[in-house]
Amino acid sequence: MTRGPVRPYVITGGRTRANRDVLEFESLLRTVPGAAVDPMVVNREQLAVLEMCRELLSVAEVAAHLGLPISVLKVLVGDLWELGAVQVLPPARPAERAPLALIEEVLVGLRQLR
Amino acid sequence: MASASSVEPAYLPSSVQGAVKILVTGPFGVGKTTLVGALSEIDPLRTEETMTSAGEGVDDLTGRPHKATTTVALDFGRITLSDRLALYLFGTPGQQRFWPLWEDLSRGALGAIALVDARRLEESFDVLGLLEEQRIPFAVAVNVFPDTPAHPEAELRTALDLLPGVPILTCDVRDEDAAHRLLIDFVDHLRVGALELS
Repeated sequence: MTRGPVRPYVITGGRTRANRDVLEFESLLRTVPGAAVDPMVVNREQLAVLEMCRELLSVAEVAAHLGLPISVLKVLVGDLWELGAVQVLPPARPAERAPLALIEEVLVGLRQLR
Repeated sequence: MASASSVEPAYLPSSVQGAVKILVTGPFGVGKTTLVGALSEIDPLRTEETMTSAGEGVDDLTGRPHKATTTVALDFGRITLSDRLALYLFGTPGQQRFWPLWEDLSRGALGAIALVDARRLEESFDVLGLLEEQRIPFAVAVNVFPDTPAHPEAELRTALDLLPGVPILTCDVRDEDAAHRLLIDFVDHLRVGALELS
């Protein structure tokens, strides 16, 4: 992007909280293929998010690549989510009754790397 | 605000179904960014978060209370663990003034690696206290600098006032293999903790 910095509240329409406040730094995003988005209801940053998320990336990665604070990106993505334009994969969390399974999956993955 | 990156993002495999996160924390200059970089499969990324907090301890010429805005840089990296799971590593500043950010960062984290510089242990007291208070599973990792004094573990444990269940690991965080072993040892520690719970 070639523009200068924009104050966050301008591009989020003055809101500081996402509509669906369950987006985390490590939530994964993917643009829904073929989603019809009215260009009149999304802003330039949201179009950039849709363009970038043609494949899977985390909220934190999209924020870093677009040069936006994570808190701002969450609001922008929250709108796109409401519109059905992005798919959100929530973080993997240890199951309350069996926290071990996820930790072991992480361990197996790390050991296979080298 | 950070300038936008022109580099094509390194996408995750489309089969990935979710991600977990681990925090790498410690005082300024302890090696958090280096450790994240040694472990990450992608070039580490940085995002800047603005944080508003009551201007406690901030000089104000008018003498009125006001809100202070601080910018926090977060460095993070990624490891694809399998065709269905990814791991994110967030370098998280440990100083008390950044604690408002911790609520977001620590939610759902598997645990935290607290990097410690043995030449300046006192700088880690803040963050170790926070980890204990928030009940985040953690391990201490002593970053070995060339002139790091050799401390017997018992001495370090006493100096840092650690609970018995907190392991003390050592690592030269510039060494990728050593960093990888550190991460495996840490997750193995989490596994033992989860075993005791189940």
